[in-house]
Amino acid sequence: MKVIVVDDSLVMRKIIVNVVESLGYEGVHATNGQNLLEILEQCGDEVRLVLLDWNMPGINGIEALETMQRNSRFRAIPVFMVSTESEDVKVEEALAAGAKGYLSKPFTPEELATKIKDILG
Amino acid sequence: MSKIILYDCSPEVTHMVNNLFGEKVAIQNSSFDDQRPLQEFSMVIVETGSKKPEQLLQEIKALRYACNFRNIPIIVMKKKSDTYPKHPYIMAGATEILSLQAPPLACRQILQGYLIPNRQPLDQEMEYLTPFINSTKHVLKTMASINAEYKELYFPSDFRIFGDVSGIIGLSGKTEGTAVITFYWDLARKVISQMMRVTEDQINAEFIHDGVGELINMISGFSKKSFIGKPYHFELSIPTVVLGSGHQIGHPEEASIALVIFDVGESSFALQVCLKPKTKKGNN
Repeated sequence: MKVIVVDDSLVMRKIIVNVVESLGYEGVHATNGQNLLEILEQCGDEVRLVLLDWNMPGINGIEALETMQRNSRFRAIPVFMVSTESEDVKVEEALAAGAKGYLSKPFTPEELATKIKDILG
Repeated sequence: MSKIILYDCSPEVTHMVNNLFGEKVAIQNSSFDDQRPLQEFSMVIVETGSKKPEQLLQEIKALRYACNFRNIPIIVMKKKSDTYPKHPYIMAGATEILSLQAPPLACRQILQGYLIPNRQPLDQEMEYLTPFINSTKHVLKTMASINAEYKELYFPSDFRIFGDVSGIIGLSGKTEGTAVITFYWDLARKVISQMMRVTEDQINAEFIHDGVGELINMISGFSKKSFIGKPYHFELSIPTVVLGSGHQIGHPEEASIALVIFDVGESSFALQVCLKPKTKKGNN
């Protein structure tokens, strides 16, 4: 099953995809919100989780999350924010928009793995 | 006592420097050595003399690297008859070009000016610098298992930065400014490889370019939490990256720019922070 990793940083995507693949999932790269929505259109039914950055050029993380929530096909896919934005007000904004959880950068791979396991069971 | 090192300087230059400073500084002569760390010196002096300009330019570049981002002036002494332009020396990392035939009083004043110790940061400056310093150490430790040791900070008058790669992020909101992290290439490769948990030979230029931008993004983001409810609170922009030694970073006008040096083993990297809270009268 696929986990989409959305981040404009190639290095960050690779770090996160390594964690995802170590847990037995297929990591799929998306470079921004627009790219995420395109990938969801193609293979949304196979996606178990979206790991979503906030600040990205083009459609940012929150905008992409809100778009997913408005689409009945994608609304049930859990979204987990992984972002440099770490203030409580930002976390609350993301959760209110529909995110299932939030992890602030920087993080260790072990912390991320624990969060993914918590959300996917 | 301040220490000055003279590289490959003629007896004429040595004599002149001795006369200018007398017993007030310790003067050391040496042949060119780009492996020697220069942190202990307050000034480096080289001479155009018998060397070809291209060779001296390479040596100045190497010496600027050996300064490890420290605020150490590199002075080039040249004969008045030497018509080679000053600009290439400055671009290579020299601080000042002085003529051997210049009046001694003027030379003394110029050189003594470079020996004035860096000013200490004000408490209000440390209020916004401390979160950035702590955040930098935390991000390097968490993401790359690297212990970055804070060594010193100063307020450069020169906006050029002599590293190989800089990650830059614009800060806006209640305050405006920039945060910049600058690495030498080898240390950047080591940091990014440890972040990605791969060997250094698997790290290409694209990874370094991207990873350095992500580092300054995380450092600024983590610092930001410390500024909630304070005049230094900011929003993050998308980071950019600049390559090449001697690049110049634009900062807001009339704001002090702090350059913070961290050591990682034998190498160093630099963090520049410039924050200028907006005033009620200003461009809010």
